[in-house]
This record gives sequence, structure tokens and C-alpha cells, in this order.
Amino acid sequence: MLEIKNLHAVVEGEDIEILKGVNLKVNAGEIHAIMGPNGSGKSTLSKVVSGHPEYEVTEGEILFNGEDITELDADERAHLGLFLAFQYPVEVPGITNRTLLREAYNTIARANDREELDPLEFEDYIESKLDVINMKDEFLNRSINTGFSGGEKKKNEIFQMAVLNPVLSFLDETDSGLDIDALKVVSEGVNKIANDENAIVMITHYQRLLNYIKPDFVHVMMDGRIIKSGDISLAEELEANGYDKMEKELALNGEAQ
Amino acid sequence: MSEVIQKETMLSFIDGEINSNADSVAIRAINVRGKEALENTPFPTRKDEEWRFIDLNTIKKNSFTAVSEANAVDVGDISNHYLPEALNTRLVFVNGIYNEELSSISDLPNHVIVGNMSEYGDHDAVKEHLGTITNYEDDAFAPFNDAAFEDAAFIYLPEETSVEAPIHILNVFTDADKAFYATPRLLFVGEMYSKATIIEEHIGLANNLYLNVPVTEFRLFAGAHVHHARIQRDSKSAAHVSRPIAMIDRNAEYHSYTICLGAKLFRNDPRVIQNAAEVDFTVDGLVLIDGDQIADTHSIMDHRFPHGKSHQLHKVVVNDNAHSIFNGKIFVAKDAQKIDSFQENRNLLLSENGKVNTKPQLEIFADDVLCSHGATIGHLNDEEVFYLHSRGLTEQKSRELLVYAFALESVESMEVESVEKLLLEEVIKYTTRD
Ligand SMILES: Nc1ncnc2c1ncn2[C@@H]1O[C@H](COP(=O)(O)OP(=O)(O)O)[C@@H](O)[C@H]1O
Ligand SMILES: [Mg+2]
Repeated sequence: MLEIKNLHAVVEGEDIEILKGVNLKVNAGEIHAIMGPNGSGKSTLSKVVSGHPEYEVTEGEILFNGEDITELDADERAHLGLFLAFQYPVEVPGITNRTLLREAYNTIARANDREELDPLEFEDYIESKLDVINMKDEFLNRSINTGFSGGEKKKNEIFQMAVLNPVLSFLDETDSGLDIDALKVVSEGVNKIANDENAIVMITHYQRLLNYIKPDFVHVMMDGRIIKSGDISLAEELEANGYDKMEKELALNGEAQ
Repeated sequence: MSEVIQKETMLSFIDGEINSNADSVAIRAINVRGKEALENTPFPTRKDEEWRFIDLNTIKKNSFTAVSEANAVDVGDISNHYLPEALNTRLVFVNGIYNEELSSISDLPNHVIVGNMSEYGDHDAVKEHLGTITNYEDDAFAPFNDAAFEDAAFIYLPEETSVEAPIHILNVFTDADKAFYATPRLLFVGEMYSKATIIEEHIGLANNLYLNVPVTEFRLFAGAHVHHARIQRDSKSAAHVSRPIAMIDRNAEYHSYTICLGAKLFRNDPRVIQNAAEVDFTVDGLVLIDGDQIADTHSIMDHRFPHGKSHQLHKVVVNDNAHSIFNGKIFVAKDAQKIDSFQENRNLLLSENGKVNTKPQLEIFADDVLCSHGATIGHLNDEEVFYLHSRGLTEQKSRELLVYAFALESVESMEVESVEKLLLEEVIKYTTRD
């Protein structure tokens, strides 16, 4: 489904290279976790994949179902089924969650030659999605993320994911800002959304989230590269020993320069 | 041969004599007063502090005749501009002239007057209040209206009367062979504890050049509550110079909202004068301009007594080469303690060539007051744009939604549903570009 090959990216207009040759392959039905210390480039990877204009791809490619999407605009990628749950969801005063979601849902439907939903149909549809993460109705009338607590913002990202029903989702530190109750609710929601036809890439700093959403693969990212991949035991090892130890080991083995 | 170099006055841009034939003694007295002031008041230049930033060429490069000389076209059917809430509380003025046929005022409580002033020239409220609070110092425009107006909207609310339906003062301007001037006038007198909502509209029916110089006077006595929306949708070639003024007494509330969408040149000088303690007033504005439009608001919130509450949110969106100017004066007199005044001017610049001048101006002589003010000039936030964009909306659509959201707050204060709807459509029209 997604194949990232030797991806290099810089901040647009500057020389600082942030992604230094990322390789990652994700198939339908899989759940991946990317872990890594602060500043290793996890968020940048997710933004580059979703088409953030702040970054420029200088080398490598991002293949989505075989098509190179590096030149596509963010909305075109969303139409193909890409979704990013932001680490820091933006507050947008004056536009309600409902307005955004209806506009987004119908734009994506249009791009894929599917029926758009009229306001009444959309209302039924969106109501049915509220349950996925125990959202209240009134939430739809609130301005996007405006005045939301950290946890509410993260829940909102997953709610949007449920409504837009993407093929491939990057969840960037969705666990930060959530208390343990909310973490369980959100995890349950993600598990409900996950199926054989879609795929999820979770970015997280702690292993905790992975107890609730079981990844098939775990990757460790450091200094703009994925330096090690494995299964859940890799996450356990990281939690026990920390990133420093792994970095040193890899250096000794000559796996990282 | 010696020549006296005459300073330019408003009359320099007027073609022909200004002749008003008002029957009312009260109106005629104001006409005479206006003519005198006009001859003695120089037309503003860039050297005048209050006119530093504004380009007045739309007036200065042209000359304007009386409507009667302009060969104006028939007004035709304008029922699409009627408000469903105000079907029988509507006065229509065409090019400044009262049109009885298009007006409808059958739905008023007893003793409330909504009508053409020339029919009420002898009313005590007209004799007592007409032209008494409109003393704009060294001004060429209020006297021009004084000199030229014949018809005028007159609204009178006796004590403790509340008019449920909004009162719609609809000024429309038609196409014409020549550029003409119009001087719409509105006098509102609300006796103690009266209550009303006034929708004052200015609509250009074509794209012609004309000069619209309205004066509105609102005199609110104790406990009167008035909501005054002013919607300016003049022709994009027109010049509009407004003098809306209100004087309010104890426990009165006057909330005004000016929406600027039209005109090539718009200059608006709203003023609210506190005439007793314990008042509450609003001087909000929303300006949406593009192309070569110029919109200049010079407001005064004049606190003269203690315990006043006032609020001004002036929101501006500028696109293309448009130019917005804001000067918001807050005066607080020496004994006007416990004033709580808020002013904010937020400007959203959508283009490289758009221009914004903003200047809050506080002159506070009391020591126990709460006055806050702020001005911001910004572009759309890139992270907000990307957030919407990443959800599948085109970048263009994302930007449009954000501009819409910026303007929304001001539109929601309208209280009259059809006006809100109409303005939302205007906002969408403004934000949607191809
Ligand atoms: N727009 C930017 N301008 C400058 N530096 C950036 C920008 N975006 C990311 N970086 C830098 O790139 C590195 C990786 O950032 P990020 O992807 O946010 O890391 P992570 O999500 O793994 O904590 C950091 O050193 C960060 O400061
Ligand atoms: Mg991050």
C-alpha cells in the first residue's frame, strides 16, 4: 500500500536535512508503530507523507498503491485515502467540526466518484460515528479544537479519522495528552476502525499505547532514519533500556553511522 | 487683473446650485445652516490629520449633479431587497428621494412614527432634535447633507413602546447618465424605555458613479434600547461618506454594526456620545474590500459620564489593491470614572498589495477606568490552512473557509435572521474567487 524509499527531506528553502533516507513499507491490514527520541524526525515523516508544504523532498519517493505521490497536493493525497492525526491539532475558530467534516467528506467522495451526502444524510452518518469514541452531539457544533483540552483535541483527530474512513492513517503521538480512561476509549476506537483493507502507522514515544493497539511491526527512528525494525518485543526492549542504549549498541555493530 | 485664490470646498465638485424645496420650516432651517457652513469649510486634504491616508480622488476628480439633472433610470422592481421580517415596516428612498409606493409602514404600534420627515416637519421631536447633535467639526460632508436634503427618514418612538419588527430603511441608488449626489438623512428619536431594531441599507442597483452622503442621528432617552445595523452595498464605483451619530442617556443601550461591502471610496465617521451615566454601546464594524476599494473608519466613542460600558470590534479583510484605514478614538472625560471600554481592530490581509493603516487613539482624563485596545494585522495562518487542506479541501477552499470564519462573528450580531443570511451570502461572494 505504502512504500517509502530512501526518502530525504529538507525544510523548504533551507539546507537542514531532517529526513535522511527513510525506508518503510506498509501493507493493507497492518498496524505499524514508529518510536524514537524527540527530534528524530517522526512528525516530519508524517507531514512529508501528508504533503505539508513546509518540507521539500530532495531524494527518494513515496509510493501509494504504486503511484508516486511526492508531487501531489495535500488534498489530493487525502482524496487517495491518506490521513494524518496531528501531534498538535490546530485550533480553527469560527469553523465547526461539522462544517469541516461535511466539506471534507463530500470533497473526498466527489474526488472518488462516490455519492455526496446531503445535510440530512450526513447528519445520520456523522451521528453513527460519534459512538466510535464516545463523543457528545454538541461537540459537532464547536469550533474545530477551539478551547479544547489536549485530550479532546486528540480524540477529535480520531473522530475525524472515523468519519473520513481513510485507507492509511498516520497517528502522530495520539497518546500524548490523554489520561488513561481517554487512552482506552481512543484505542478502542482505533481498533474498531482498523480492518483488513486499511493500515495504520502510529507514532509514539512510549510503549503504553501499544498495549491497547497491537502493532504488527515496530520501527525505531533516530536522526532522520529508521534504524531498526522488529515486532512488539522491540518496543519492550526500548521501554526497558531506553533509546541511548540502543543507539550505542547499533553504533558498535556498525548499523548506524 | 487680480484673482483671489479660492480654497476648494465641497461645492467645487458639485455641478449646479444646491436647491432644496422642503416645506418644513425645520428642514429649511437646517438647509440654510448647511449652505453657510459649506461655503466656509475647505474640502479636506492630505495635510489634515484626520484625512492623511485616504485618497479622495473618487470625489475630487469628478463632479456631481442633483439627481433631477442626472437622468436617472427608473428604480424598477426591488422586492428582492425587502426583508421578510420588515415587510410592513419599510421606508424606501430612491437616490435619496422618498418613494411612497415602494414603502410600507402598516405594521406599527400606536403612536410610533416611521415616515418621510417632510410630512412630520412640525413634529416636536423634529423641531427639537433635527441637526442638534451632528456637529462634526470643520467638516464638509455633514453640512453638505444639511444643505441638500429634502426628504428624510423620521422614526419616533414614544415612551415605553417597543417595535417588534425591524424597521428597514432601504436606500437604493439607480443607474443614471450623469454622476449625481444623494443625501439620505435619518432622524431617530427614542423616548424613555423605547425599543427598536433599525436596519439601514445602502444598495447600488448598478455600477455607476454617484456620491452618497448620508447623515443619521440617533437620540436615545433614558432606558431606550436600539440595535442599529448599517449595511453598505453601494455601487463599486460610488463614493460614500457617512456621518452616523448617536447621543444616549442614562440606562440606554445603543448597539451599532456597520458592514462595508461596496463603494469605491467609503469614509465612515461613527460617533457615540454618552449624555448621562450608566450606558452601554457598541460601534462594531466589518469591512470586506478588494479591487481598488478604499474604506476608512474614523470613530469616536465619547465617554462623558461615569459608568459607561462600550465595545468596538472592527474587523477588516483586504484583498487585491484595497486599502483600509481605521482610527478609533476613545475619549474619557475627567469625571467619567468606572468606564469599561474595549476596542479591537483585526485586519486580515489576503494580498501583497493590500494596505492597512490602523491607529487606536485613547484620550483618557479619568483615573479609574478600564480601557483596553488592540490592533492586529495578519495573514491567514499557514498551519490552519494546512489543517483543512490535509483533510481533503483544496487550498483555495481552505482559505475561503478561514476568511468566512473570520467574518462570521460580526455577521452573527445582526439579530435579524434574513439580514444574517444575506450577509453570509455576501461573505461567501467575497471569499469565493475564481
Ligand atoms: N519547519 C522546521 N524548521 C526547522 N526545523 C525543523 C522544522 N521541522 C522540524 N524541524 C527539526 O527537525 C527535527 C525533527 O523534528 P520532528 O520531526 O518534529 O521530530 P519528532 O517528531 O521525532 O520529535 C527537529 O530537530 C526539529 O527541530
Ligand atoms: Mg513529533
